[in-house]
Amino acid sequence: MMKRLLALLRNELVMTRTTLSIHLLGFFQPALMFSLMAFVLVMPTFELYVARSSLPLGESLVEAMVQVNSPIGDAYIEPLLVEWQQGDDIPGGQVVELAISDGMPTAVQHFDLIDSNIVKNYRNRLTSAGLILWEEELGRAAIQIEERPLLPVDVPYNVYFGMGMLPLAAWIGASFVAAFLSAQEFEFKTIQEYRLAPAHWGLVLGARLLRLSLTGLLSSMVLMITLYVFEQAWPSPLGLALGMLVLMGLIGACVGTSAALVLKQTLPSFVIALASAFFTWIMGGAFGLPAGFGGVYEAVSRWVPNSYAVRALFPLYYPIEPSHPNSYLILFVFATAAVIATILIYRKSVLSVEEVRQ
Amino acid sequence: MRRLWLLFRSELVVWRRDPITALGGVLPPALILIAFSLLFGGRLSFKIAVVNQDEGPYGSILRETFDEVISPLNDVPYYAVFDLSERDAHIAYERGEMDGIWVIPPDFSERVVAQEDPHIEMWFNNYNDDRAKNHRIYASEIVWAFYERIGLEAPFGLAETYPREEMVDWVSVIAVGVALLSATLGSIFNMYALTYKEQVEGLILEFGLAPRSLLWVWMPKIILALLFGWGSGTIFLIVIRFWLGYWPGRLLPAALFLMGLVSLFWIGFAVVIGIRSRNYMAGALGVVLTAIIIYFIGGGMSLVRFRSEDVLKIAWLFPNTHAIDPLRDLVLFQTWPADWNPTILILSGFAFLSIIAGVSVSSRQLRRLD
Repeated sequence: MMKRLLALLRNELVMTRTTLSIHLLGFFQPALMFSLMAFVLVMPTFELYVARSSLPLGESLVEAMVQVNSPIGDAYIEPLLVEWQQGDDIPGGQVVELAISDGMPTAVQHFDLIDSNIVKNYRNRLTSAGLILWEEELGRAAIQIEERPLLPVDVPYNVYFGMGMLPLAAWIGASFVAAFLSAQEFEFKTIQEYRLAPAHWGLVLGARLLRLSLTGLLSSMVLMITLYVFEQAWPSPLGLALGMLVLMGLIGACVGTSAALVLKQTLPSFVIALASAFFTWIMGGAFGLPAGFGGVYEAVSRWVPNSYAVRALFPLYYPIEPSHPNSYLILFVFATAAVIATILIYRKSVLSVEEVRQ
Repeated sequence: MRRLWLLFRSELVVWRRDPITALGGVLPPALILIAFSLLFGGRLSFKIAVVNQDEGPYGSILRETFDEVISPLNDVPYYAVFDLSERDAHIAYERGEMDGIWVIPPDFSERVVAQEDPHIEMWFNNYNDDRAKNHRIYASEIVWAFYERIGLEAPFGLAETYPREEMVDWVSVIAVGVALLSATLGSIFNMYALTYKEQVEGLILEFGLAPRSLLWVWMPKIILALLFGWGSGTIFLIVIRFWLGYWPGRLLPAALFLMGLVSLFWIGFAVVIGIRSRNYMAGALGVVLTAIIIYFIGGGMSLVRFRSEDVLKIAWLFPNTHAIDPLRDLVLFQTWPADWNPTILILSGFAFLSIIAGVSVSSRQLRRLD
């Protein structure tokens, strides 16, 4: 049996040559996406336009803005002085004007048509700069905030983001190729060969899923190496990370294969693989640990395998806490459920008498 | 005209047989929108534990301040505070259930009164620099409000002006990005759906031998793909209307015009890549994935106009990045974009070049001239 499985596996690998471009897309798309997004996703430093003012507050406020930063990381404000008065276009979405209001100097933040998230970022930065001036005046009456960060340095956001994309890479690599290969079996009628094969269907399906899981693993390894090149972040121990990503690849393979077995056409199967890949990625802690977002998001994320993959990967990238054995177990349960569902769909779509007659 | 109508009808029949592909412009963007609305549309307060060990009144005042300082993002406090013992707080923090802990020491009030360096401890998880930054700048908001509550007078005031009565929230900004993505994917998927059958069943050769101009082949496909792009985008505009309350109103034709020009670019692009690539499906996958990457780097999740220097140069090579903020002006702010004319000129250029390239390259390919 083992010999036959290996022969089937070899056949699957040979088939890679016929769909090389699809494989290359699966291998490199997540790494490309990460490489591009890494440059634009999070910019801690905001340009803050400040209207030139003759008030003494103007100069000291700009000096305070320069001091708003992470003691172990980046500056948060880059103040830019501009000639501006009310009625002029607002540069950069926001400008700080220093004026006298009710006899008191006031820093008025004029916003353009920007959203609440950017307003929040501008507001917080101005308050931080203002607080520096206030506390200088307060002297020893000012409250000292003693920072106790968990890690010695603020870790760049890209490390988390890249780590969060690893399960997506495994899913994409496996599910896209799975959808493509399995749907084409129907489109080119080669599914008939599987029906007539003397080998047990379990071996045929097993070899396919195994090879697709490895495809997913390869895809995530390309991203893993890219993340290392960008941020010098590498999982330790590597074996645990790879094992977990094989499970993610297996789940992606099952989704892609099942979609193709049901729909029997390449494009719709691809739509399902695509939609599932990005939905589970975003819901599974793509932009931060789900516990940090709370509410419905956290509740829904419990039903998404990616969030367990991220939880399992987290201690491999951050020296914070031991691995969550539960995450591996739950991921294993997800993978088992996906395989069982795929087997049932395979039997119905490929082996049932009705399908054979058609 | 009759010929065009006949071809148009035959294309419609192809589409009716494959409705899921037609939904390619709706299903993935819908799931992306649902996921983003759950992620960024909920309560985004940082979960922290406050351990108040203070024996005087100021610790309690500081504790109350947390609930009163409201973030403009979703109008909720910056912090969701849990009052825990120091031990429980650290257990929750180490489990990742809390973003941070503020410890107010026993002598806090005493030091505030004596003006002798009152201090607090702020424990926080800096596993990413963005959240660490937020902890620091949110703390400034809390301390500023605390000073005001205890009657200290700031050396200057802070004020804000916003051009609308209500602030546009982040999820709405993302939703318009998704609407444009939907129009993009809708046109791409439908273009591929309309040409895939020909590729798979070898009908492409018949087109190549057709005595008439191949424009007759491409015209109905382009029109249909454009209509489906519009259809998908419009579905999302309607969703935005009923869910988030934004609707372009009389500016709707302008919004559709923008989306249509973007769709035309992608239709031409899809045809070129689909026909030229040795593996048709790989071409299709490549185009769809490119469109999704462009969504993420070309202003799909945030405004690009005010931070254009931070947008990657490669993103400006695609029309979506140029169209997204004018589209937001029309939908969210119901205002005519100040950069309407240059935007339309750029988008028309993209669409024109792409369609010309798409039709001529693919026609040459079909005629086996290349």
